[in-house]
Amino acid sequence: MYLEIVTPEASLVAGEVESITVPGVEGEFQMLNNHAPIVSVLQEGKVKFKGNPTIAEGFEKKFTQEDGKWVLQISGGTVECNNNRVMVLAD
Amino acid sequence: MANLKEIRNRISTVSSTMQITSAMKMVSAAKLKKAQDAITAMRPYSEKLTELLQNLSATLDADTGSKYSEQREVNKVLVVAITSNRGLAGAFNSNIIKEARNLAANTYAGKQVDFMTLGKKGNDILKKSGTVIENNNAIFDELSFENTSEIAEKLMLLFSEGKYDRIIVVYNHFKNAATQLVMTEQFLPILPPKPIEGQEAKTSETFYIFEPSKEEIVEALIPKSLKTQLFKALRDSVASEHGARMTAMHKATDNATELRDALKLQYNKARQAAITNEILEIVGGAEALAG
Repeated sequence: MYLEIVTPEASLVAGEVESITVPGVEGEFQMLNNHAPIVSVLQEGKVKFKGNPTIAEGFEKKFTQEDGKWVLQISGGTVECNNNRVMVLAD
Repeated sequence: MANLKEIRNRISTVSSTMQITSAMKMVSAAKLKKAQDAITAMRPYSEKLTELLQNLSATLDADTGSKYSEQREVNKVLVVAITSNRGLAGAFNSNIIKEARNLAANTYAGKQVDFMTLGKKGNDILKKSGTVIENNNAIFDELSFENTSEIAEKLMLLFSEGKYDRIIVVYNHFKNAATQLVMTEQFLPILPPKPIEGQEAKTSETFYIFEPSKEEIVEALIPKSLKTQLFKALRDSVASEHGARMTAMHKATDNATELRDALKLQYNKARQAAITNEILEIVGGAEALAG
């Protein structure tokens, strides 16, 4: 599945991933391939994804590695998943 | 005929002015490039947000009265004027000031109109003719989404508390490096989204799971979209400022070149006249001796 993480200031991540975990306001949840279309509001927490998408230059410091997954701390946002494309609007 | 030394001094003054203006032009060109990139960088975010919001509001009943879309009788208006901290940018700042005053004097004549200024130049002038409730110069030192959010939140609070019935943003829209358009955008209350023609059917194609409810998502998205709107206006204004300054400095350099050439011609003429005079004197003197 294709993941994109964008902030108002820049596009951080774009590329193929195996799984994504996001901090929804009603609890953390994970999306795998062929997930049903969903729109959800995110709260403060960690976005984790497995895979090797392209991370925008200059923003590598924002990401950490944890159990073979990339981790990004966000303060809130929105996620949309449709047709194996996941778009995270992070603040 | 002006004396030679005077002209020489003027030539050197004009040349050093020219150096400054051409350096400023190059600095602005570099900053403009950066500012344009920044506008491009935020486009995916703002487009996706607008798309989500439009899809959602289209499926909701028209009247899901968010506290930010409440239409009240307009008595108190706040005009947010976005200018710059520095001058030497042609009509960049004066256009905004003119438009802000025009809003107060004509469009909202007889209403209470206050200003909020972002940028020193606007504040300096508007505070003489009206009430400036707040000024923020620091925003341009570090233009981040976080800093913009603070201002947007303040504006949202002013509106929802009923201190103002309408909030309007006036800024320079970046069309291209040479052209800036003065935009007057209504910030609050939110105007109902205009349905884009031919896109109406698209909304029902996908059945999304909404978590939490649609209404709550819209509630959460509206403040974000307002912040993005203000952020976009600020970024647009910054790019316009550099564009305007670049054009102004380009013209200044051209004018200085023209002036320098004219002065050089005058200088050479004066020099030649002086030499001719001298020769005439010498010849006259020699003839007098010979005679």
